[in-house]
Amino acid sequence: MSDHAVTIRVNGVERSESVPARLTLADFLRERLDLTATHLACEHGVCGACTVLVDGETARACLLLTVQADGSEVTTLEGLTEGDELGPIEQAFWAKHGMQCGFCTPGFVLTIAEMLDDNPNPTREEIIEGLGGNLCRCTGYVKIVEAVEEAVSLRGGGG
Amino acid sequence: MSLFGASIRRKEDPRLLQGNGRYLSDIKLHGMVHAVFVRSPHAHALIRGIDSSAAAADPRVVCVLTPDDLPVGLPPLPCIDAEETTKPFNQPILATDKVRFVGEPVALVVVEGDRYIAEDIAGLVDVDYEPLPAVSTAEAAVAPDAPLVHFDSNVVDVLEYSVGDASSALAAAPHTLSERFITQRYAGTPLETRGVIVEWDEPRRGLTMWSSTQVPHSLKATLVGYLGLPENAVRVIAPDVGGAFGVKLQPYPEEIVLGLAAEQVGRPIKWVEDRYEHFLASTHGREQYHDVEVGYDDDGRILAIHDHAVTNTGAYLQRLTLVEPFIGVSMLSGPYVIEHQQLVSTVVMTNTTPLNPFRGVGHVQAAFTMERIVDLVAAAVGVDPGEVRKRNMFSKDVFPLHRGIGNVLAGEIIYDSGDYQECLRRAMAAAEWDDFRREQESARAEGRYKGIGIGFFVEETGLGPYESGRVRVEPSGQVIVFTGACSSGQGHDTVLAQITADELGVEFDDIVVVHGDTDLVASGVGTYASRSAPIGGTAVRHAAGSIKEQAIRIAAEMLEASPQDIELIGGEVRVKGSPGSSVSLAQVAGRVAPGQPLPAGVDEYTLDATDVYHPPTNTFSYGCHVATVEVDIDSGVVTLLRHVVVNDSGTLINPLLVDGQVQGGVALGIGGALLEEIVYGDDGQPLNANFMDYLVPAIGNMPEMVVEHMIVPTPLNADGMKGAGEGGAVGAPAAIANAVADAVLPFGAKITETPLGPETVYRALQDVS
Amino acid sequence: MKPPDFDYVAPTSVDDAIKALGSDAEAKVLAGGQSLIPLLAFRLAGPSLLVDLARVDGLDHITDEGDRLVIGAMTRQRRAERDPVVAERCPLLVESLRHVGHPQIRSRGTIGGSVAHADPAAELPAVVLALGGRVHVTGHSGDRTIEAEDLFQGFLSTSIEDGEILTAVEVPASGPRTGWSVVEIARRPGDYALCGALCQLQLDDAGAVVDAHLALIGVGDRPMRAHAVEAAVLGGASPVEAATLAPDGLSPGSDVHASSDYRLHLATVTSRRALTQALESAA
Ligand SMILES: Cc1cc2nc3c(=O)[nH]c(=O)nc-3n(C[C@H](O)[C@H](O)[C@H](O)COP(=O)(O)OP(=O)(O)OC[C@H]3O[C@@H](n4cnc5c(N)ncnc54)[C@H](O)[C@@H]3O)c2cc1C
Ligand code: FES
Ligand code: FES
Repeated sequence: MSDHAVTIRVNGVERSESVPARLTLADFLRERLDLTATHLACEHGVCGACTVLVDGETARACLLLTVQADGSEVTTLEGLTEGDELGPIEQAFWAKHGMQCGFCTPGFVLTIAEMLDDNPNPTREEIIEGLGGNLCRCTGYVKIVEAVEEAVSLRGGGG
Repeated sequence: MSLFGASIRRKEDPRLLQGNGRYLSDIKLHGMVHAVFVRSPHAHALIRGIDSSAAAADPRVVCVLTPDDLPVGLPPLPCIDAEETTKPFNQPILATDKVRFVGEPVALVVVEGDRYIAEDIAGLVDVDYEPLPAVSTAEAAVAPDAPLVHFDSNVVDVLEYSVGDASSALAAAPHTLSERFITQRYAGTPLETRGVIVEWDEPRRGLTMWSSTQVPHSLKATLVGYLGLPENAVRVIAPDVGGAFGVKLQPYPEEIVLGLAAEQVGRPIKWVEDRYEHFLASTHGREQYHDVEVGYDDDGRILAIHDHAVTNTGAYLQRLTLVEPFIGVSMLSGPYVIEHQQLVSTVVMTNTTPLNPFRGVGHVQAAFTMERIVDLVAAAVGVDPGEVRKRNMFSKDVFPLHRGIGNVLAGEIIYDSGDYQECLRRAMAAAEWDDFRREQESARAEGRYKGIGIGFFVEETGLGPYESGRVRVEPSGQVIVFTGACSSGQGHDTVLAQITADELGVEFDDIVVVHGDTDLVASGVGTYASRSAPIGGTAVRHAAGSIKEQAIRIAAEMLEASPQDIELIGGEVRVKGSPGSSVSLAQVAGRVAPGQPLPAGVDEYTLDATDVYHPPTNTFSYGCHVATVEVDIDSGVVTLLRHVVVNDSGTLINPLLVDGQVQGGVALGIGGALLEEIVYGDDGQPLNANFMDYLVPAIGNMPEMVVEHMIVPTPLNADGMKGAGEGGAVGAPAAIANAVADAVLPFGAKITETPLGPETVYRALQDVS
Repeated sequence: MKPPDFDYVAPTSVDDAIKALGSDAEAKVLAGGQSLIPLLAFRLAGPSLLVDLARVDGLDHITDEGDRLVIGAMTRQRRAERDPVVAERCPLLVESLRHVGHPQIRSRGTIGGSVAHADPAAELPAVVLALGGRVHVTGHSGDRTIEAEDLFQGFLSTSIEDGEILTAVEVPASGPRTGWSVVEIARRPGDYALCGALCQLQLDDAGAVVDAHLALIGVGDRPMRAHAVEAAVLGGASPVEAATLAPDGLSPGSDVHASSDYRLHLATVTSRRALTQALESAA
């Protein structure tokens, strides 16, 4: 079937491509734009590894067709770092050992980025509630929660 | 300060956090084509024919490979057998005349384009199946008229071990009790599925395979065997691996088929397993029940045990499938002195996905069974579960302890070191046992039911046969460590650098760790059975030690001193007592760089040393979990409150990372205790092969976790390290099940199986009332 | 696990959307895609054309009509969850939305999509049913409204015809002294519940229940309204007494998560708790 022209701003850069209707945003990012930090671990919306920001809100990139995202602004993990500088959430993951294999990590980082933008000073319950849609098989989540708390203080919250 | 033992941040993280991880599916090669496997939709069927003409006619198809296209006489997948079983229960590389489980690969389709197109075209391959009756549970498989998975019986092996005389001791025991304990089928389900890229290199007449595997070297050896290529023509690379847990510890049929297709296709081929395939085609674990009879005395001392375990190993014996039935019985008695044991382990095949070890293999079932028994005995004699454990435990003076059981898979069981009673004491203290009992009492008065439970385990870790380690110092000062152990998230780069930094006194940041590439690392085994620190780490320690010796010899000549007067401190080699007289390790490396005469008494260029470490026997880690829970009596829902672990995995290289291993293991154990189960219908159809219905624990399922370490170094290796990767997964189901049982004790409900989903607990409550 | 091939249009008016749907017998509406795309990924659905409503004018709104609250079909779940008007006029809906999947799902999933999908374990269809709401649909032959009682026909099946589009969901606004609650038994937070009860009760000045709404999820092929329980509560029965009637007329199926019997038992447990909590919040 015929391809569809889309224009999507990805990490601040406008990308115009012609894509089949069935191409998911996750595959668009990974295969067309080589932005491979958006991971695919289930492709049916459960694990959160593919989480990206679409117009500032987290969304599952495996449950969004590229054509649906036409005209939107998309941010991936690659878009959070500038040069070699790690952002506060990534710093916190490093300091607190919030990751082991790292496969779930990009989805967590973007979910946390949105969470802290919304609520710079979440309680433990709010953190747990906010991360409910991201699965990690390695860490048992303990150090991910610690990383969020660390990120809060690195971002100057936590007061 | 020495880096060894320090909780430092990992070397590998900044790269991953910048989005520069390179997992298998991230790799793209020029001209790459895409593969999918045609898999059996039937649990059991004859293949009458395969018509791939419609698929082959599509211009985008590069090749379709059916069993007929494979070389004649291709051996099935290897299996390391415990006994002298000669019948071929191994999986063929592609199913030939018969399929035996849903998901078994039948054909390969390779297309131009992408995975989307490959799936479209795979749907055009027409396999003519004649369905046969199937069997999915061990109980059904041993019934007299059960459908046969292979030959004349579905019981394919019976392993038997005994110490003492259990029959007589049971007959003479003051009390006995019998029960069946059931552990369900569940799986490691790493977040990253498997995946393979293979590229044929015509000028070299060889291939490179990237695979998301724990065992690149054994994959290489397997490919060399199947493809009939010389060693130098096969290179295997394990890129960043997104979790493995044992699921990626053997060469799989997909890897071999893709290896076989590589030359014909002539272009790089990529296959990435999707989550549905993963549930069907990657190995599962656990499914095992134990029929146990124990004899005990009035004080709760366990005198004898008879255990008959039955494992549903699925449709084929994979490489290490038999470890599950072996460990399940051989490690049953764990920390307890039980003089008379008769252990029988029956291996039963069914039309389900094959079992192979994953995190905690066999130990999980053993600990669950034993720890439940101890609590039943405690309840029967009216003594606190902690006290009954103490009465039955080995004292700290018994090591090394020969258990008198062993086999070719796991070696002889000799407990190396420990202090079980102290571990128990500490865990109970950390769990505030007595306070909890009071809390439980007052909660009961309000109609709320809380419980506390212990899960003690002893775990065989640090398995051989060997691991390689090589350390090389460059004239620039860079230190390169090569290891055969490869990481799937454990942090090998960091801990091996810590060991090296400790031995050589060089900067952590000057060390680079190389693994997962058979061209760069000559030999190795891989990562499983919590072996990388004790075995891989020891090899690196030894190699670094040789570097140190070499450096001292070379520096002796450079500094015109005798080797006995030279020491290596902080990366400087210097004359003892005269700090002014020193050379750096980099200068030493420069002194033996090729192109110049060697110093006297030195006979090798380059500062480079390799060690292949064969551990004398395995190490035995242990730990004590104490879980507290609340059970909603109306619905059966179990809420976890707190989970304490006191763990002894010997000397810790990096406590932060070990904490992470234990916490992650506990989460997996929680999955096994409460949530996870791979469910098949009686017809062998999988019923929950997706992440929506197969319940990996989410953050909201986690209790508050407390991890403490107790350190009794093993005498078996230089640093006293035992494995730490699995204990979290082993003790948790036992502790949680005991806590649930304790919570429902007032109702007399029987808790004998996992997962303890709400309906299971509710039924247990109903069955008594 | 990649979707099969299909074509795609994103019309900007309801008329064009209806035309597009009519142009292809295998066409399907795409809203947030949070239920449809997983079905495509498993190749359990194979539409030839997706008609995306996201760019259609006039489907994304929250309108306070006094005694009724009207929500455009394409209003995202997350927007409704955070909207002050919804919070005031239909707090049960807000509470229910918090149980729908996770934030990343609700940011794309729509109110209309969830109701049209009619999953028997989903919260939003049950809210509309419990409150006696209705939906507005438009098709070739014009507009019509369907009462919630008539909307849900079976497993993932509604009386919205092929070629019709759900344009808005309407629920009565809640009055004074109203209490509400959502009680679910789920194995992981955010998952579809094994069983759940959604309840809204209104009291008079004397504290007697004058209006009772209770719907159950996960206990049949569609959301179920517990009329018998409601009647008992209105007749003065206590939550414990009334909840025993919850299983009346239900015959849930068994699946990997729960057996039929157990679901029936949970119907009682969740009803009792939901009634109790709703009474407490009304008081
Ligand atoms: C991991 C996960 C967890 C979830 N958990 C929950 C949960 O706990 N509770 C819950 O309720 N839901 C849950 N959902 C589903 C989610 O709420 C969906 O958003 C919702 O069911 C469908 O809404 P949608 O807008 O995404 O619709 P779509 O997926 O786009 O469409 C769903 C169906 O409705 C049809 N349709 C959509 N809009 C219209 C319309 N306007 N007119 C006619 N037909 C239409 C479509 O053709 C399709 O058949 C979950 C989803 C995921 C992926
Ligand atoms: S890959 Fe998208 S949610 Fe799992
Ligand atoms: S770090 Fe491996 S899945 Fe989270």
